[in-house]
Amino acid sequence: MTASDRELLERSARGDRAAFGEFVEQHSANVHRYLRWLVDDPNDVEDLLQKTFVDAWRAAAQARADGGARTWLLAIARRNAGKWLARRGATREREQSLEELGELAGFGDAQHTPEQMARAAEERSLVEQALAALAPPEREILVLRELEGVEGAAAAELLGLSLAAQKSRLHRARLRLAAELRQRLRAEVDR
Amino acid sequence: MKAERVLAGLSCSQVLASLTDYLDGELAPDARAALEAHVRACEHCARFGGVFAAVVRGLRERLGSAALDPGVGARLRTKLGAQLDAQLGASNERRDEPR
Repeated sequence: MTASDRELLERSARGDRAAFGEFVEQHSANVHRYLRWLVDDPNDVEDLLQKTFVDAWRAAAQARADGGARTWLLAIARRNAGKWLARRGATREREQSLEELGELAGFGDAQHTPEQMARAAEERSLVEQALAALAPPEREILVLRELEGVEGAAAAELLGLSLAAQKSRLHRARLRLAAELRQRLRAEVDR
Repeated sequence: MKAERVLAGLSCSQVLASLTDYLDGELAPDARAALEAHVRACEHCARFGGVFAAVVRGLRERLGSAALDPGVGARLRTKLGAQLDAQLGASNERRDEPR
């Protein structure tokens, strides 16, 4: 946890609302982005965002000093989003082999050049569509690791996975994202 | 896998399985050297490695830095302020109650 976060949380724990307001300003965009990719309804996202910070205010004195404040907040947000996370468990699909995923992502594809795929990956709307199309566990690991910059060990703890399982999920999610982008690129070329 | 080959002691499937570790700098030096030797000799893996890295970079760069929507931020401040006020009020009332 940074010195600034620790100080803000210590002051918050003593009832300093201005310090907590500063803490909220620093972290709300990240927590919102995480929840937004986790939960479909924007109103629910805002309610969960608010609840996360209310819980953080209550727990400020117990905030763990060994992890980052952002990871601590994301863990609170994840707990609060529990019912959406439970729902995702019911829609698990058959897990494809890495080779199948690789081919879907374009391994051995002579039709699209790496430059075409790189250009597709630079189009914000295409990347958003591809990320939104992923199964929730794959989307969540990408949001945590790539967008929020959560380290592997912290992500594994947050998700209740071993480090190896976390790595495997990240790898499959990256391949799946490439596959979704490729599918969108093909649709554009065919149009 | 289509176009599977073994080069520099590694198959294309093994390269595919190691791409995340390679990209994240988590391969041991000898494994890294073997993977790079394979990729130098394998057109398919070279192309796909470039695609894979570009997709991860695109995700980080395109979606990784969005600021909070001002409307969401304003609503959060208002609602959170009201809720914390209510909590502080409730705890003050409890403290003031005669024992």
